[in-house]
Amino acid sequence: MMNLSKVMRVAAREFASTALTKGFIIGALVLPVVMVGVIFVVVVIASTQQPPADTGTIYLVDRSKEVSPVASDRLSPEQVEERWKARAERIKEAASGFMGGLMGKKAEQAMDSTAQMIKFPEFKVIVTEPDADLDPLKAQLRDQVAGDPSNDKNLDTVIAIVEIDANATRKADGEEDFGVYQAFFRPKLNDETIGEIESSVRWSIRELRYENAGIDRGTVSELDNVNSRDSQEITEEGERKESSGLSNFMIPFASLMLLLMASMTGGQYLLTTTVEEKSNRVVEVLLSAVSPLELMTGKIVGQMGVGLSLLTIYNGVGIGALVLFNRGDLVSPITYLYIFVFFILAYFMFASLMAAIGSAVNDLREAQSLMTPVMMMMILPYIFFMPVIRSPNSMFSTITSFIPPISPFIMIMRVASNDPPPVWQVLLAIGLNAIAVVLFLWFAAKVFRVGLLMFGKPPNLRTLIKWVRMA
Amino acid sequence: MTNGADLAVSMQGVRKTFGKKVAVEGIDLAIPEGSIYGFIGPNGAGKTTTIRMIMSILFPDHGELSVLGKKSAVDSKDRIGYLPEERGIYKKMKVGAFLKHMGRLKGLDSRGLGNTVMEWLDRVELAEVHKKKCEELSKGMQQKVQFIASVLHDPDLIILDEPFSGLDPVNMRLLRNLIDEQHSAGKTVIFSTHVMYQAEQICDHIVMIHEGSKVLDDTLDDIRARFDPRAIHADPVGGHAMLEQITQVPGVAHVTPVDSALEIVLDQGVEPQDAMRTLLNTHPMNRIEIKRPTLEDVFIEIVTGGERGADAAQLRADLLAGNTEDTQEVAS
Repeated sequence: MMNLSKVMRVAAREFASTALTKGFIIGALVLPVVMVGVIFVVVVIASTQQPPADTGTIYLVDRSKEVSPVASDRLSPEQVEERWKARAERIKEAASGFMGGLMGKKAEQAMDSTAQMIKFPEFKVIVTEPDADLDPLKAQLRDQVAGDPSNDKNLDTVIAIVEIDANATRKADGEEDFGVYQAFFRPKLNDETIGEIESSVRWSIRELRYENAGIDRGTVSELDNVNSRDSQEITEEGERKESSGLSNFMIPFASLMLLLMASMTGGQYLLTTTVEEKSNRVVEVLLSAVSPLELMTGKIVGQMGVGLSLLTIYNGVGIGALVLFNRGDLVSPITYLYIFVFFILAYFMFASLMAAIGSAVNDLREAQSLMTPVMMMMILPYIFFMPVIRSPNSMFSTITSFIPPISPFIMIMRVASNDPPPVWQVLLAIGLNAIAVVLFLWFAAKVFRVGLLMFGKPPNLRTLIKWVRMA
Repeated sequence: MTNGADLAVSMQGVRKTFGKKVAVEGIDLAIPEGSIYGFIGPNGAGKTTTIRMIMSILFPDHGELSVLGKKSAVDSKDRIGYLPEERGIYKKMKVGAFLKHMGRLKGLDSRGLGNTVMEWLDRVELAEVHKKKCEELSKGMQQKVQFIASVLHDPDLIILDEPFSGLDPVNMRLLRNLIDEQHSAGKTVIFSTHVMYQAEQICDHIVMIHEGSKVLDDTLDDIRARFDPRAIHADPVGGHAMLEQITQVPGVAHVTPVDSALEIVLDQGVEPQDAMRTLLNTHPMNRIEIKRPTLEDVFIEIVTGGERGADAAQLRADLLAGNTEDTQEVAS
């Protein structure tokens, strides 16, 4: 019934007029590269352009008389530097662990150099008389805040006053609780600086409490620390390391994004070109040569080519990146195949709606109101991402992965997760979606044939249904 | 009327409604191959709907239809050339590429298509634009390109919906010659216009549509004979001042001034030739001729039933205004 060569002719023009344009090549290929570049630059700038570290004097008003030596030592420039460097090292290790080894050598080097560039605060600790009055010290701080801002970063600038209660380390007879400490800070200090001062004071107080109680600090931390071997999952095939970290999320998320991006890009272009053909009045000229069904099929196929090109390119980039980092094993080849299968199913449903909407309206602005429900539907996979990826085989995940038109998106997340569904479920989803595709296309064809030559008042959903009955 | 192979288009009792509005009501048509038919009628009369049904872009609610011996134009699209009223082009496409695309869609082989396109562009004096984008062309140029798109594949049946709208006189003549050329080559041509004067110049057969119904379907000659107004146009020396005197001439029923001349309506049974002779003998004339009915007159006479009242004047005004009226009609 359909003339295939005409359909392919329409498809070829549709593809060429969309994909072989400067705008598309820039938008689809150059832009993502530029964006990655921009993100990289931002990260580098952010890591080098840290706020200048705070320097200044800390008054320790130590009414307990024994905390100040420990705290002064703890806050000495040497010890602060040592702690900050150790912390940067720990963050780096944690980050590479969290990324599941996805981080490249380059990124690690970047973090190394960042660690070396870290700026840490520098303190001068002045221990006052144990019974010193706080008010003059506060007055001094207040005066400096009000005074010349140029000596802000001076080592003599008072940045903090810490008062430690007399009973902070030893309970007074008959008292339930230890005493406390209170800190007064100069405004606009970095959070890290405040954290450093407070944690040092707390650490010192705690240290003395252990000592006074006759408990060895080393023993306590030894007792506190409970380690474990790597957790294992026991599956039908045997044991495997419990997969954790970002790779678990990244692969399903990347698959979902690929699928959404490819099908929505193709669909959006389809909407635009259909509206254009209609408002250009070129459509009836085309209808003199092809039937509405041939036209619609050709356009859908042409834009499918656009989506497939995007999918192939980005998939290629993804595979390339994984192989580069020696993590090609993270995604099984069958997943790539599924991405393409589910793309075609998802795209056909989305494209049918776009073709129907495009044919029904007079311009893109009118399309917006009809687009809203479709776009809301397309957001659902994002919303379902977390619950599905946390438990890919839960009742919720299973059911939503069978409901077109979101089924392809949910199913690809499940397939790409570390706990893929049984094959029969995937095949069932493909079957259900195929049926849905036929229904969507049928609906679109009806609306398309009536809508194309309908000018004037933009239709609402009820009118569309009327057209379907009419056609 | 039969569905014979010698009919390019036949319609029987075709009816099409859009909701409550009846667009076309019981139209019968038999358009023989090789003829040149004009569909005339004011805007919104149902011309475009009728043509879209012939093209199988719309489908009739009732009635039979056949095109080039097939039940539907879908089966013979490649043998039909169609220039729709709502015609556009791909703005960003180059003229040559657009025409080649249309040619391919009409089933032409890509080999030699480039030459065919160039030949056609040459014929309409647009050879130099084939590398230009369509949006760079003037409206008249675009229209010529669209005309080429409709005849590029050498169709047997050419359907042109308002082909002259928006053309200047020079291009109008060029297009008219091209249509004549197609007709001479034995092609069937159907074209619609709301400017009846254009139909008079080209067609040998007229179908008049009014409010969805066919009110006239005849050859131009027969129409002229049938609607002979039995009147003479005369421009006597002395102008309108001679009105009273001429009214006295035997055989003259009444005289009305028309522009600078006089329209002389004759009594029943008086031969116009005889009356002219008598008039020439009694009054010196700058110009005298038998009044030929225009399609406009015919249309107005049919619609108003021969009355010449305010309705007719209004209708005439509407027809003349039709040129500038927005032609958007509800398509489906």
